[in-house]
Amino acid sequence: MDRNQLKKWFQNPVKMAHKYSLHVVYFCTGCGIIEIPPSITARWDAERFGIIPVATPRQASLFIIAGYVSLKTLRSIIRTYEQMPEPKFTVSLGSCPINGGMYHDSYNTIKHLEKYIPVDGMIAGCMPRPEAIFVGVTHLWTLIDKDMADGYKRYRSNYSAYRANQEKILGKLEWPPLFPIHGEE
Amino acid sequence: MHIIEFIFSPLLALLIGVFFLGLARKVMARIQWRYGPPVMQPLIDIIRLLSQKSASHGVAFNIGLVMSLAGSLVITLFLPFGKIAPMSNSGGMLVILYLMLIGPLGMAISSGESANPNASIGISRKLLLAMGYELPFLLVVLALMKAYNTTSITEIVSLQRDTGWSMFTFPLVLSGIAYLLILPAMLGVRPFEVVNAPQEISSGPLVEYGGPYLALATLQHALALFIGISLFVNLMWGGAANPVIFFLKMLVVFFLGIFVNAVFPRLRIDQAIRYLWRWPSLIAFAGLILVCVTGS
Repeated sequence: MDRNQLKKWFQNPVKMAHKYSLHVVYFCTGCGIIEIPPSITARWDAERFGIIPVATPRQASLFIIAGYVSLKTLRSIIRTYEQMPEPKFTVSLGSCPINGGMYHDSYNTIKHLEKYIPVDGMIAGCMPRPEAIFVGVTHLWTLIDKDMADGYKRYRSNYSAYRANQEKILGKLEWPPLFPIHGEE
Repeated sequence: MHIIEFIFSPLLALLIGVFFLGLARKVMARIQWRYGPPVMQPLIDIIRLLSQKSASHGVAFNIGLVMSLAGSLVITLFLPFGKIAPMSNSGGMLVILYLMLIGPLGMAISSGESANPNASIGISRKLLLAMGYELPFLLVVLALMKAYNTTSITEIVSLQRDTGWSMFTFPLVLSGIAYLLILPAMLGVRPFEVVNAPQEISSGPLVEYGGPYLALATLQHALALFIGISLFVNLMWGGAANPVIFFLKMLVVFFLGIFVNAVFPRLRIDQAIRYLWRWPSLIAFAGLILVCVTGS
């Protein structure tokens, strides 16, 4: 804990707690997950910033999507994201969730992840090194400080558009909508 | 004065329990050659969790959680913490033995309502583990009651002030060893961390807890840690007249638990039961017979 930030702690403890207690659920189907073990174990030790992996989305506040997203995993990603309690943040790792990366011409890979769930930050690279993950997390802190990490608010206000995109690519979804959909009786 | 103790002792227990949770993470990190989180990290987590919104899974989900937390808070009134002992004159050990069941039972009701298969596995493991350590624990407590001829925990503590720590007096030494052997199981640390194994069954009973519910569950966990260590110090290491000395004794027991936690892998539940019902139970039974034969 940084002593220089004590004033901030007294001014807004909730925001500071959101910054320094990011419990992460890692979505590990892509190759990016190989960069996660060094970042949470003794070499880089993410726990000194309060970042620990948790086992279930209910306990988490940060969702890291490590690597490419296929049609099959997109379904689980959406369900995991909707189960997380608000406020929640999403960070994607690697080039593939940004624009398809090396899978840009694959029939089975999602090219733009932010069309289906809101993404607060993207770490580019193939794969990004653990240092890049830490830089990404410090950027996320800045965003939380400035109230700009508002992905969950965007998901709430634009839910009908997100849901339409999801149904367009996945067909009929077997779970009910999370928020009421506008323009539908 | 008495009223202040009633308010003060649960708060003190919560404070020490949360401090222990933070210290456990820091010490584990140092053992693994990491820098580790700040000691007040659990407090930061609790602030964050209380500010989040999460789904409830029904009435029993809420009631069970509150019941578990309340049961644990009530036990802290019966446990003497140095001189601070608001209700330890009434009931004594028997009340504590009953009340110790309320914590796990409340969590079982609560997480059973969440209807997650991982939670059911976690509950069944918790109750099996409780069955495993209750047998040697009851034998140890029986030996203590027989040796000191009383069921009052304050009297056991004050008698130890004259005779020395009961763990190191002759007829009770076997009971003390048995209690030390089952202590990791009672605290739920690593060789017996079968209940909420995050890598195995997605943190077991806590799988559907999020936001404020998880905050309350964390507080309950902290209280359970406090109760387990405090009971051991009172019964075996002679308690203390001074709260500071008592806290230092608790710290020593806690570090022993953490070191065991750091170096051992997790047992399977059948291995844990087999261990608990073999060596600690045999030693505790031998200790009870020794106390009965030598008399007092």
